[in-house]
Amino acid sequence: MASNWQEETISVAGLDTQVFSGGSGEPLLVLHGAGGNPGWMPYCEALAAHFRVIAPSHPGFGASGRPDWMERVHDLAYFYRWFMEQQGLGPLPVVGFSMGGWLAAEMAAMCPTLLSRMVLVGAAGMKPRDAEIADIFLMTTEEGVALRFYDAAQVPDYDALFGELTPEDIQTAAWDREMAALLTWKPYMHNPKMPHLMAQVKLPTLIVWGKQDAIVPVECGDLYQQAIPGAGLTVIDHCGHSPHIERPDAFLAAVLPFLTFQAC
Amino acid sequence: MVDVYYFTEMPYAAFDETEAERYPSMRLTFPNSYFDADTAHGLFRDYFDQYQWAEEVGFDGLMINEHHNTPSCMDVAVNLSAAVLGRVTKGAKILLLGNMLPTTDNPVRLAEEVAMADVISGGRIIAGVVRGIGIESWANNTIPNHNRERFEECHDLMLAAWTRPGPFRWEGTHYHFRVINPWVLPVQKPHPPIWVPGTGSPETIVWAAKHGYTYAAFLVPMDATVRLYDAYREHAAEAGYEATSDNFAYMVCCVCADTDEEAQEIGKHYLWRMGHPLRGPVEYWAPPGYLGRRRPLRPHRGGAPSGDRKPLHTLSYEELQDAYHLVVGSPQTVLEKLSHMRDKLGFGSLLLEAQAGAMPHKATMRSLELLGRDVIPALKKG
Repeated sequence: MASNWQEETISVAGLDTQVFSGGSGEPLLVLHGAGGNPGWMPYCEALAAHFRVIAPSHPGFGASGRPDWMERVHDLAYFYRWFMEQQGLGPLPVVGFSMGGWLAAEMAAMCPTLLSRMVLVGAAGMKPRDAEIADIFLMTTEEGVALRFYDAAQVPDYDALFGELTPEDIQTAAWDREMAALLTWKPYMHNPKMPHLMAQVKLPTLIVWGKQDAIVPVECGDLYQQAIPGAGLTVIDHCGHSPHIERPDAFLAAVLPFLTFQAC
Repeated sequence: MVDVYYFTEMPYAAFDETEAERYPSMRLTFPNSYFDADTAHGLFRDYFDQYQWAEEVGFDGLMINEHHNTPSCMDVAVNLSAAVLGRVTKGAKILLLGNMLPTTDNPVRLAEEVAMADVISGGRIIAGVVRGIGIESWANNTIPNHNRERFEECHDLMLAAWTRPGPFRWEGTHYHFRVINPWVLPVQKPHPPIWVPGTGSPETIVWAAKHGYTYAAFLVPMDATVRLYDAYREHAAEAGYEATSDNFAYMVCCVCADTDEEAQEIGKHYLWRMGHPLRGPVEYWAPPGYLGRRRPLRPHRGGAPSGDRKPLHTLSYEELQDAYHLVVGSPQTVLEKLSHMRDKLGFGSLLLEAQAGAMPHKATMRSLELLGRDVIPALKKG
């Protein structure tokens, strides 16, 4: 059931954009988080059994170019409108992880006709009321990785993702981190207007959170759910900030019924 | 002729130093529960007494600096201490090294404050400008990636506020003002001299040389300083002028006592200054983007920037003295060493960090007296 995935570079609004894609059928946009694009992962493969999965690297991340003027998460939302237009993509479902969830929420607020449904996974962008979003830039990369998982031992692809890295991987990770810091520095990891923006979202929305998320507290999932009319929330127990990496089976069990609902 | 400046970071060392070992650094996140305001009140009194005394015994200038979230430097607003010195001293230059341009959100207010200090002091301000170490981006919560461009725009706006007749408008990239028209303008025309410190960054040398601003090398080994000054001279020549000793300053730690033995004992207080305050994770000292956009990775071992050199906080007392980062001794010993540095480097200004850590006030005052009355006159003659 290999999806024959590919990696290519396409030009969008004059910007080289790295895109991983695979599978067939309805297109599905996957937006990575502040840690960068991990590439074609097993969860992509599983989603590709139902969709044509499109997983670009945001401007400033991975092998994508970096225009000097892009400094805010909503700048990336503009970019993805151009991306979809250029690729001839109509309203499509989107899955956003962490900062990519914030980006999906900005797209939904800015141009809801781009999207057909939305999955926010451990999404940044919403200011918590009680706890704080962990300051990932104040800690070492290793501390950040440790904080990301409830139990690193249960992460199936841990070694592939965090094991031996090439000098190129390390350089890319540093530049990804720099871009992520620029996008999210102040206010840190959130848009103060988010509750107001989300109140007008009419998209079918599923929110997925690791119950033990130590980076973006699960209360942000509650706040997204309260803000977005009709949104559902699935909390995965024994799971940290990245359910798609830490507990891919539970993640897929949560999102696939929602994403494939129309097809049923 | 060399001008000599007294400098203290106004440290707060009145707590058990080993407490710092429990934290990643003595800066940024070291808990401020170790601070006691009454103790600090006494320290500030001592430090300002020292500055007044330094002027009285023969120092040409008084240098002040600014840091945040650290017991190593209680001066958190260099323009505040400049205003105090402007009032309580009479003739000494007041060297600010300096205002942190990138972390300021209001360059017009900054220009006003420096102008006010210049007016209070009767035109004695040297308005140094700095980028601020990475930790300042954290403490002031400014985007590290914008550090260089905010430095340049803030500088341009500050100069405009001093020199361009108001009212005028500024619509820049990082700064936007509708009505710039500061009433209080500097005594010194067209504006106070500007200096810039560095520890070896080539960009700083180029920038300082391009503008003709005095470059102050901070705790840079002498051989490396020779190369930095040479690079400055080359860029100055490209910019169409010849650099003189006025374009060069040099900062070292220095303490003097009646005997070498006594000085060696007092000098150990510098180990506090060179230790924990310079230690810390790379995430503190170089937050993402602070070193520039998409810079190729360079190994950074954490701690204060030291280029390719061994970090200062790893050097022993003897190594610090051998490298001339720290000059300790009787007036005769200190004079010999400082003369050697002057002859080798040819700087026009020598900045002596002549107080450190918990160095007793009395010892500091005696050191300043010996430096001012015995060392400085001889250094100027030689």
